[in-house]
Amino acid sequence: MSEQTTSTLAQESGRLSAPRKHQVIKRFMRNKLAVAGLVVIVLLYAASFAAPLLMTHDPNAITFGARTLPPSSEHWMGTDRNGRDVYSRLIKGGQVSLATGFAAVALVMTIGVMLGAASGYFGGLIDGAIMRLTDILLSIPLILLLITAASLFTPSILTTIIVIGASSWPGAARLVRGQFLALKGQEFITAARSIGARPSEIMARHLFPNSLAIIIVETTLWLSYAILLEASLSYLGLGVQIPTPSWGNMLRDGQSELLFGAWWLTLFPGLAIFITVLAFNLLGDGLRDALDPRHRER
Amino acid sequence: MWAYTVRRLLFLIPLLLGLSLVMFTLLHAAPGDPAVSMLSPQAAVNEQYLEQTRKNMGLDRPLPVQYLIWVGNLLRGDFGTAYSFNGKPVLDLIRDRMWGTIQLQGISLALGVILAIPVGIVSATKQYSRLDNTVTVASFMGLALPNFWLALMLQIWLGVKMGWLPIISTGQAAAPWDQRWKYFVLPVLVLTLPNIAYFTRFMRSSMLEVINQDYMTTARAKGLANQQVLYRHGVRNALIPMITVVGLQLPRILGGSVIIEQIFAWPGIGQLAWDAITRRDYPVIMGITIILGAAIMVTNVLVDLVYALVDPRVSAAGGGARG
Repeated sequence: MSEQTTSTLAQESGRLSAPRKHQVIKRFMRNKLAVAGLVVIVLLYAASFAAPLLMTHDPNAITFGARTLPPSSEHWMGTDRNGRDVYSRLIKGGQVSLATGFAAVALVMTIGVMLGAASGYFGGLIDGAIMRLTDILLSIPLILLLITAASLFTPSILTTIIVIGASSWPGAARLVRGQFLALKGQEFITAARSIGARPSEIMARHLFPNSLAIIIVETTLWLSYAILLEASLSYLGLGVQIPTPSWGNMLRDGQSELLFGAWWLTLFPGLAIFITVLAFNLLGDGLRDALDPRHRER
Repeated sequence: MWAYTVRRLLFLIPLLLGLSLVMFTLLHAAPGDPAVSMLSPQAAVNEQYLEQTRKNMGLDRPLPVQYLIWVGNLLRGDFGTAYSFNGKPVLDLIRDRMWGTIQLQGISLALGVILAIPVGIVSATKQYSRLDNTVTVASFMGLALPNFWLALMLQIWLGVKMGWLPIISTGQAAAPWDQRWKYFVLPVLVLTLPNIAYFTRFMRSSMLEVINQDYMTTARAKGLANQQVLYRHGVRNALIPMITVVGLQLPRILGGSVIIEQIFAWPGIGQLAWDAITRRDYPVIMGITIILGAAIMVTNVLVDLVYALVDPRVSAAGGGARG
């Protein structure tokens, strides 16, 4: 019986049968920008994992003799006002920023998918309550909600993750709800229900796998927002705290020296954020085109 | 249609109450005491003095009572007075700052839309041409630029190094217009770039979708020139979804940008929000939340209505974007 269900599923839009998987990969590979995005992201994560090998200095080592030096062969991206090596801090900060962004998105998607699934599957009161909550949270500018929440608690990496996760889930919840609603009426779900499958089983085995494409795309795009949000919060002093470097707090830290011409303190962390966000956007867009052919020709 | 509109608008009242409750809970769940931040450090040590201040601010009452008093005042149109900001009425504070934000964001939105529409159209009609590819890459780059970083770099380059433009807006409002426009250049530039990128991408995809519709083929089949088909039938229909997208930006016109206003010391609502949050000025934060929330909710309703008016295929009652 489960054999049969699987074959029905394979015909449905979201789940990938082997030939379709092949097609998706082919479509994705044809999109040069998306492939470039993927390559950059793989490199960024590789750099994060290999951070100890790549760093030329201790990112937190303070050298008073080497304050605010411009880029040189010794310090590739110069030093900050405490004589710390900017390049090494950028690598370490990348580790922090990418990990924070990743954890925040994991939280966003976990809350979003669970609430969206419950909303779409059960409908009724549960749906009403969850959707009204999304209405409320979406009717206040996200950044305002974020800085209010972040300013109320002691800033740290963990606070940043929780604040982003707890404020940003409504979009994902609505998306998953819509997808579940659309699938719920289809025959294979009715079939599954008629053979006595429990709701949790239907959601986990049928609805979720068929919504996976949309969830993957949303996750990728959220990774780029999360990097930007972390940078914004840390730039405002509400996110990751010095001495732990993150791209956002490096921008904050270098700001005062910028006036005196120390452009390297601002240029490099900003470029790092820019490249990362760009890569995630390109990847997300390419994935959407590859996974959803109807969307492709637009 | 009327009944539907009224129903949607009435439904906003419980939503706004919900919003205020969420914000109220968030503010009061956090550790910290606004009375302490009100007083000088010396006075804040004095327990008796602190107690009296709390009492004056109404902070000694149970939280539900505080909330009900706040809602009661709000229903009479009283947003209360600020703890700091010289104890000014919240509504006056918001009104004073709103105008600065509307100017800045309004110009950036208008510029973004005006520039993006033609670029998006041309890009779509020449899909996959070199021009289209350039536009696509440029839009992606525009969307990925952290605008506060761009603001810092431009301040240093055009402001400090070249000395062409003022880097912060202090004294901006008093300057005569032949000087004053200079204060607008950097913040407008920084806010417009992502707008152009976003609207261009949207206009392009909207136009592409229209181009592939059957009625376009029909128009061509009945002998209309290609140009005429594109501009008479195509552009008009492609602009309809833009209404939604531009309409949904309206709250941002009111809400401003916290970070950009900070960087340029721009006297807007974003800066007010930031100051209020760092000073724990509960009445101001609540006031801003309610006004922005109401603006966003009403905008959503309006966008649905306008959409239904412009696009005959959508009926208002069924076409709502609400979940």
